Amino acid sequence: MSDAPADPADVDTAAEGDDEGSFFERYTTRAIVAGVTVASVVALLLAGLLFPESLAGTLADVLTSRNTLAATLRLSVPIAFAALGGIFAEKSGVINIGLEGLLIISAFSAIYVADLTGGVWVGFAGGVLASTLLAALFAVVTIGFRADQIIAGLAVWLIALGLAPFASQVIYGSPNTPTVATTNSITVPVLADLPFFGALFSASPSVYMLFAAVFGSWYVFERTAFGRWIRASGENPKALDTAGVSVTRVRYAAVLISGVLAGMGGAALSLDLGQFTGNGPTMVNGKGFIAIVAYLFGNYNPIGAFLSTMLFAGLDAMQTVLQLQGIGIPRQLIRITPFVVVIVVLALVGRTRLPEAAGEHYETED
Amino acid sequence: MSAADRARDALSRLVDASATERVLISTAALVLSVLIGAVLVLVAGRMTTCTAGEAVYYFGMGFCYDPVVVFDRLFLGALGDPLSGGWSPNGQFAVTLRETTLLIFTGLSVALAFRAGIFNIGTQGQMVVGALATALGVLWASSLVSGALGTVVLIPFGLLVGAVFGGLYGAVPGLLKAYADANEVITTIMLNFIATGVALYLVSGIFKDPESAANQTVPLPEFAQFPALLFGGRQDFSIVALAFGLLAVGVLYYVLEHTAFGYDVRTSGVQPEAAEYGGVDAKRTVVASLTLSGALGGIAGAMYVMMVLGTFQTGIPSYGFDGITVSILAGNNPLGVGIAALLFGVLKSGTTVVQFATDVPPQLVGVLRGLIILFVAMPEFFRLLARRVPGAGSRREAVATDGGIAGDRGGETDE
Repeated sequence: MSDAPADPADVDTAAEGDDEGSFFERYTTRAIVAGVTVASVVALLLAGLLFPESLAGTLADVLTSRNTLAATLRLSVPIAFAALGGIFAEKSGVINIGLEGLLIISAFSAIYVADLTGGVWVGFAGGVLASTLLAALFAVVTIGFRADQIIAGLAVWLIALGLAPFASQVIYGSPNTPTVATTNSITVPVLADLPFFGALFSASPSVYMLFAAVFGSWYVFERTAFGRWIRASGENPKALDTAGVSVTRVRYAAVLISGVLAGMGGAALSLDLGQFTGNGPTMVNGKGFIAIVAYLFGNYNPIGAFLSTMLFAGLDAMQTVLQLQGIGIPRQLIRITPFVVVIVVLALVGRTRLPEAAGEHYETED
Repeated sequence: MSAADRARDALSRLVDASATERVLISTAALVLSVLIGAVLVLVAGRMTTCTAGEAVYYFGMGFCYDPVVVFDRLFLGALGDPLSGGWSPNGQFAVTLRETTLLIFTGLSVALAFRAGIFNIGTQGQMVVGALATALGVLWASSLVSGALGTVVLIPFGLLVGAVFGGLYGAVPGLLKAYADANEVITTIMLNFIATGVALYLVSGIFKDPESAANQTVPLPEFAQFPALLFGGRQDFSIVALAFGLLAVGVLYYVLEHTAFGYDVRTSGVQPEAAEYGGVDAKRTVVASLTLSGALGGIAGAMYVMMVLGTFQTGIPSYGFDGITVSILAGNNPLGVGIAALLFGVLKSGTTVVQFATDVPPQLVGVLRGLIILFVAMPEFFRLLARRVPGAGSRREAVATDGGIAGDRGGETDE
């Protein structure tokens, strides 16, 4: 991740600049979605201001509440971490659809290790380790043994979906673990007292770690040779190979990084609540798949992925608040809004340009 | 070789690999998964607590779970203990066949989509929609007819309702893929969550059975359910349903291999560009195959309601995800689905026996499900393994029908 010799760095220039027409189309769809989102928020706020007693008034209250921002940030953590991980893997040419599984395994392991050792941060490390190991298995299977990436990713998800409740049942006698201690939130003095934005300065450590990870990922992709190798490995592996960098190694590294990042997300998810619940789709409940849509919508840009995560998580936060306020829409229906929005966004964004060589095995040519 | 060529090559390698090789790989994957399952049971046996008297000892270490007992229960228990003499047509074997019947339909659903080159992860949701529609439709119709006539009319009607609603729900990701380029893996998974959520809303509200504490619809009358013939009366199994399943296997095989539509589906799956060049309407094929796939998932839901539960209840077991395993194990071949469904039916039914006998949690089957998919997905691993075994290596090479792979292999280095 450091600054390495820059000679293989320009191999990816050839991959850029092609199909500009479709880039423009995508750009406008994204702009339209973003514009509509902003416009509807503004309209809602205005309507709420004019008719404070109406549904719009309630929604506007919820939107401007500092609790909503706090909840949005908290809900963003697992999705955004997983999305960052997905970007690393997919940019290198390995589609990691098993992010959901990585979140599940790390959420459980974090609680288990924290319960065993009594240390929250030891538990966090345990969660990250478990996720990284599962990602390593995925890497060996797809890169080493040329398995179909989608099927192997599904297998990773299903293995974790079975393994975490199985382990919980064996160890605790129930798919849900007992509760462990949680971390205290970190509060920045003065700034935390700001209205609305104060929520940014009084949050769980995992939120700050997310900010760091988003910036760090952006920096790696934009400013380091390693970031350029990852891009080249996904766009034009042959050129990277010719430049003397091992495509296999770059891909292994990228998939392992995706394991570490998703592991941080999963560990933060369960440790923030102090418990792992493993019934049905487990507490992860589709967050790994929402993460995939978030980075597609964010066009593989860490910051874009973070912003689109905020959109999904914001909806989720609002639905929680709305459920509590009981505004007439049934709870069960409000709960599915994030999933509906994911489909709508995917339909609007349509075909995202995958990295040229994503999903393909690369064979070193002697 | 361009990237697209290579992708096509990889795909045709999967499709063209000879049937023998496919069977060998699937068997090896199954055996390996079960072996890893045994190790997992041993490890789990170290992590749980039990009295010294209950523990078993291997390699000088005590374990709470005995993998030998586990696998004895898993396989012999699922077959109703044919060796110990107590076999009865109402025993565990009926449960195994019940699971097999449902898995045939979800397996066929996934397999059909796969053959068209589409990942339908949404069979679970399509099954939920079909099940709910059947429970409500048949309940409504059961007030119009009754008795033996009712059974003859209502069961085909229920299957039809399940197929139609499951099919419509399957058409949604099909249309999204064909006309909005939305990736079907993600949309079908999201639609699973939506189906479960909406079903919960409907069944806990307007369609709730007022006399039940559970979130369920009003139970169907006895005559609107599959009759238990010969065996399985106590285990909610009907041989009629299994016969329907086997019929579906035959029909789907015929449709895929011997009709124009089947040809379109198969060529779209193997070589989409070539199929389109040859006059196949790609968009229509995508929508049609996902609709048909959804219809099969919907029939699985109808079967579950009319054979197993007699009502719709929230929390439908994950037959849809198991269908992915069944289909992949079967190499997406309808005839193979019949066999794979029986094998996986044994695993599913066996885990409940295991739970009775040994306390090993039934979630074990969930882990096996994932492991089987993982191993079947990596044929290279088994080819490598086979080449390490003296004598077997040369034969395996000859079986590869994909041309050029032998040369490619020489250049393949994993660091």
